Amino acid sequence: MWMEEVDEFFKGYMPYYVLIFLPLFIIISPINPIQASHEFPIYRMQHFDLHGIPHGSRSASFNLEARSLTNWKSLRHCVVARIKDLTIDQFRDIRVKAGALLIIVPDDLSVLSKEEKQHISILENTIMSQEVSIPIYFIRDSPEFSEISTEIAEHSAVNDLKKSAAEALFSSIAANGYQVVVSPSTPSIRKDVKIATIQGQLVANSLKDKKISTIAIVAHYDSFGIAPELSFGADSNGSGMVIMFELIRLFSELYEDSKTHGKYNIIFLLTGGGKINYMGSKKWLEDQLDSLDGSIIHESAYIICLDTLAHSDSLYMHVSKPPKEGTSSHSFYKELKAVADRLSNLTVEGVHKKINLADDILAWEHERFSIRRLPSFTLSTVKTYRDNHRNSILDVKNSLNVDRLVQITRVIAETLANQIYNISNKAILGKVFDIDRSHIEAWLDIIGNQPRSTQILSNKDNYLLKIFRDYFDKHLIDTKVFYASPDKRDPEFNFYDVTKSTVNIYSVKPAVFDLFLTLAIAVYITTIYFLIQKFPAFYNLACCLTSSAKMR
Amino acid sequence: MTLYHFGNCIALIYIPYYLTYKYSGLSEYGAFWKCAQAGGIYMFTQLVKMLILATFFPDNISETGSDIVGEFLKATVDLADLIGLYIVLNGIPGKGHSKVLTAGIGWAIAEVILTRALFLWVGARGAEFDWKYIQKCLESNISLVQYIATTTLIWLWSRHDMKKNLKPLVTALLVFSTYKILILDMIVKYLMIGPWMSLLLKSVVTLVIGSFTLVIYAGLAQAIGIF
Repeated sequence: MWMEEVDEFFKGYMPYYVLIFLPLFIIISPINPIQASHEFPIYRMQHFDLHGIPHGSRSASFNLEARSLTNWKSLRHCVVARIKDLTIDQFRDIRVKAGALLIIVPDDLSVLSKEEKQHISILENTIMSQEVSIPIYFIRDSPEFSEISTEIAEHSAVNDLKKSAAEALFSSIAANGYQVVVSPSTPSIRKDVKIATIQGQLVANSLKDKKISTIAIVAHYDSFGIAPELSFGADSNGSGMVIMFELIRLFSELYEDSKTHGKYNIIFLLTGGGKINYMGSKKWLEDQLDSLDGSIIHESAYIICLDTLAHSDSLYMHVSKPPKEGTSSHSFYKELKAVADRLSNLTVEGVHKKINLADDILAWEHERFSIRRLPSFTLSTVKTYRDNHRNSILDVKNSLNVDRLVQITRVIAETLANQIYNISNKAILGKVFDIDRSHIEAWLDIIGNQPRSTQILSNKDNYLLKIFRDYFDKHLIDTKVFYASPDKRDPEFNFYDVTKSTVNIYSVKPAVFDLFLTLAIAVYITTIYFLIQKFPAFYNLACCLTSSAKMR
Repeated sequence: MTLYHFGNCIALIYIPYYLTYKYSGLSEYGAFWKCAQAGGIYMFTQLVKMLILATFFPDNISETGSDIVGEFLKATVDLADLIGLYIVLNGIPGKGHSKVLTAGIGWAIAEVILTRALFLWVGARGAEFDWKYIQKCLESNISLVQYIATTTLIWLWSRHDMKKNLKPLVTALLVFSTYKILILDMIVKYLMIGPWMSLLLKSVVTLVIGSFTLVIYAGLAQAIGIF
C-alpha cells in the first residue's frame, strides 16, 4: 500500500522525528526567550473625597491585555504608556474608552528637561482635575519593565500595513501578548484616619506684668502628587518644615539661657492635612478658639506660615489684607526686606489676595487664620497658589536647591531674631551662632526619602510623625498633638485605602495559538502511533542485522 | 495559560504512554497489576535515593556544573534506579518481550505520574504561557524510550547466555544511561544551546542508545529462541 511506501521512504532517507520536529521548530523557533511572570510594585492614583466632591480614580483592580498608546481599542485593553509620551488629548480618550491606564514614570525625576517637567506637570493637573472611573496606576521605570513595554509597543505594530501578509498572519498566531493583572482589595473608606498636628512652644520671661504677645510659626508636613506613594514633596512642604526645624533649633538654644530670652512667646505648629484644604490647622484653630480658658494664640503678634521655600529666588509674602502701617506684620515685612537686601540677593515682594469665601478650598494656609481675624501671612517662593509645583510628583529631593534653602532660612531666622530682640540692622547670626547646613541636610534626608502624602501619614502611630514629635519634645515645652478625624455623619474628607499594589504581568499567547498547538500535538501523536504500530518492522530490521552478522 | 493548554500538555505527555501500553500487546496479557507493582518499586527506590541524597548531599542547591565532582557523585546515586529495575525484573514472571516491556513501562508511567502531573497542574494552568511545559512533556516521551532501553539492558546484563564479548558493551551502555542526564546537562551548559536544541540532542542520544539495545536484544532473542 501507499502507506508502506511512505513508511519505506522515511525508513530509508529521513528519520520520522524530522516530521515532528521540523515543523515544530519552524513554528516555535523562539524569537524572544521565554518570559516568566513578572511582578512590579505599582502606585495607585489619588483617591479621596473633599467637601463631598470625589477626587481621583475610583477603581483599583483589573485584569486586561496590555496595549500601547497607538494600538489600544476597547475597554478590554490596559494602556501602558510613558508619562512623557502621553498627551492630554490621548488621556481624555483613554479616560472614557480604555479599561485601565498604567503610566511609566522615570526613575529619577530630577534629570528631566524643562519641557518634560512642564508636560508632566500639566498632565498631572489634567488627570487630577476630574474624577476618573478607570484604574490608573504609576510604575517606576526599570530595565526589566522597559523590556516588557518595548515588546508591548512592538507587538502593537502587528497591524502595521508595511509587514507582509505572512508575517502578519504568523505574528497573529504566535505573538507574545501580555496580560496585566492587578488585584488589590476594593478601595474602601478608611475609618482610622487621624491627621496629627503637633504644637510646641517657647515661653518668654514674664517677670514684668507686661502683656506678652505670641509669634506663631506654622508649616504643614504633608505633600501631594498624582499618586500618594510618589509624592515626596521635598519643596512643598519639605522646605517649610526644614526651615521650621532649624528655627526651633536656633530659638530653643536662645531661649534656654535667661539672658537671651526674647520678649515674645513662640508657638511652633506642624500641621497636617495641608494639602486637603488645611484641615489640620482648621481643627487646631477650632480647638484653640472655642476652648473656654482661652489660648495664647489670642495675643498673637502675627502668624507666619511657611510654604514651599526653595523654588525661586524671590520671596513672596502672601496676605489677605495689606498690613497697616504700625502693625507688627508690617514691621516684619519691612525687616524682611531689609535683611534680604543685606544678606542675600533675594527679592521680597508682598502679594495681596482676598479670601474667596464662595470657594470651599482656601488658597494659602494663612487664610485659615485670617478668616478668624488673626494677623497672619504666608511666606513662599511661589507667586500664585495655582502653581503646579506645589502639587507635583516632580518635587523630589534631588531637584531641590539646598544653597537657596540655606539662604532663605538665614534670611527668615535673622528677620525673626531682629524682631524678637528688637534690634535692626545688626546681624544676630554670626560665626558662633549660625544656621547649620548639615542639620538642614539631615532633615531633608529624613523628610525627602519617603512619600508624605496625607493618607500615608494619617494612620495611627506613624513613624515619621513620631520623629517630629520627639524633636518637638526635645527642644520645646508643652508639646501637644491634636488629631483631626473626619466626622462620622458628614465627613469633610475621606481617604480610601489602596495606595499601592503589585502588578503581575503574564506573557500569554493568543487563543488561536492553542488550537495550532493541539493540531501539532495531534500530528505528533499520530506519528507515535504509527511508530508503535510499525515497531515489529524495526525489530525485524534489527534481527536481519544480527543474523547477517552471524552469517559472516 | 488555560485549562485548554493544560489539556494539550496532558495529551502530549500521556497519550504516547497509553499507546505504548496498548499496542505493545501488554494489555492483552493483563499486565496492569504488574505495571502497578513496578510503580510501587519505583516509589520505594526514589525514597531510598532521596534518603541517600539528603544524608550525603544536604546542600544540593548549587547550579549544574559548579561542582563537577559533587554532581558526578549525585548522579552515581541514580545507579539505585538500576537496582530497583533489576528487582522489578526479577519480580515479574514470564519471559522476553512482555517481561521487559512491563517492567519498563510500569516504571516510566510511575515516574511520569509522580513527577509531572503536579508540575503541569500547577504550572500549565496558570495565566503565564511558557514553552517549558511543552518541553517537559516531550522530554517525558523521550524518557519512556530511555527506560524501556535501560530495562532491556538490565535484562540482557543478567542473562548468562549472552555472548561474552557483548557484556562490556551492555555494561558501558548501562553506565552511560545513568550518567546521560549529567553529561548532556554539561554539554548544554558549555555549548550554551537553547532548550529546543538540547531536547533534540537528548532525543538523538536516546534513540542511539535505544537502537543499540534493540540490535543486541534482537540478536540474543534469536539465539535463545523467543520472538
